[in-house]
Amino acid sequence: MHYLANPARFVSLANRALPYVWTITVALFAIGLFGALVTAPADYQQGETVRIMYVHVPAAWMALLVYTVMALASATAIIFRHPLADAAAKVAAPIGLVFCFLALVTGSLWGRPVWNTWWVWDARLTSMFVLFLLYIGYMTVWQAIEEPHRAAMVARVVALVGFVNVPIVKFSVNWWNSLHQDASVFRFDGPAIAPSMLWPLLVMGLAYAFLFLALQLVAMRSEIAARKLRQIRIAEIGER
Amino acid sequence: MDFTATYSGFVIGAYALSATMLTGLVIFILARDRVLRTEMERKDQP
Repeated sequence: MHYLANPARFVSLANRALPYVWTITVALFAIGLFGALVTAPADYQQGETVRIMYVHVPAAWMALLVYTVMALASATAIIFRHPLADAAAKVAAPIGLVFCFLALVTGSLWGRPVWNTWWVWDARLTSMFVLFLLYIGYMTVWQAIEEPHRAAMVARVVALVGFVNVPIVKFSVNWWNSLHQDASVFRFDGPAIAPSMLWPLLVMGLAYAFLFLALQLVAMRSEIAARKLRQIRIAEIGER
Repeated sequence: MDFTATYSGFVIGAYALSATMLTGLVIFILARDRVLRTEMERKDQP
């Protein structure tokens, strides 16, 4: 981790890794979409609408994972004073926001034919909506506070306090009565889903994860460039 | 997939929205990266 604390070293590593990460991402999406739309069977109860699962569930997984990454990066910034940790959390937020938005909207599109409603204020949906608001709140902190060090300090607190919501989202279906179904994949007694449906779901999950990795590497490279440009501009103003 | 099935519009909508949002995100992040790197290269030139 300390090896990557040097921004120049990180950019060099990101530049070398990105072609491979993008290639793997495209390949995983091609295989995953083929599995989701062609080989996976329709559900005996839900019919074709079950195919929404292959874009809804990975988006929901990533919304939780990205917020966890933000919280870990914020903790790393506080404990180790890692110079890139705040940048990692900052650039991850908009990506996580998009995943969270997609999980909410595709979930709603799935809910209408299956539950006969677009939305209910039950534990899973409400906690996911709170996660969406946390992403917006975190991004607002960076936009609202002009001085980067102060913005980073407040943003770390928001990320760490907001992390309390992540296990609430995950276990909400176990802790409270919910219209949302229980966990089907990550269970102590193994997945409760047919293998013909499970493998496209896992491949799509991996595709989303690699897409996040690719976007995170590019966005961190951009953030490092933006910080350098800011320093150059401040130095130019000082010279005048 | 059976495109004539009941509610298939919901499935198409979910995939279309996901593709649009994710493509938009990719384009936004890559475009920002390109702009910033071009500016950096310009500043690095003597």
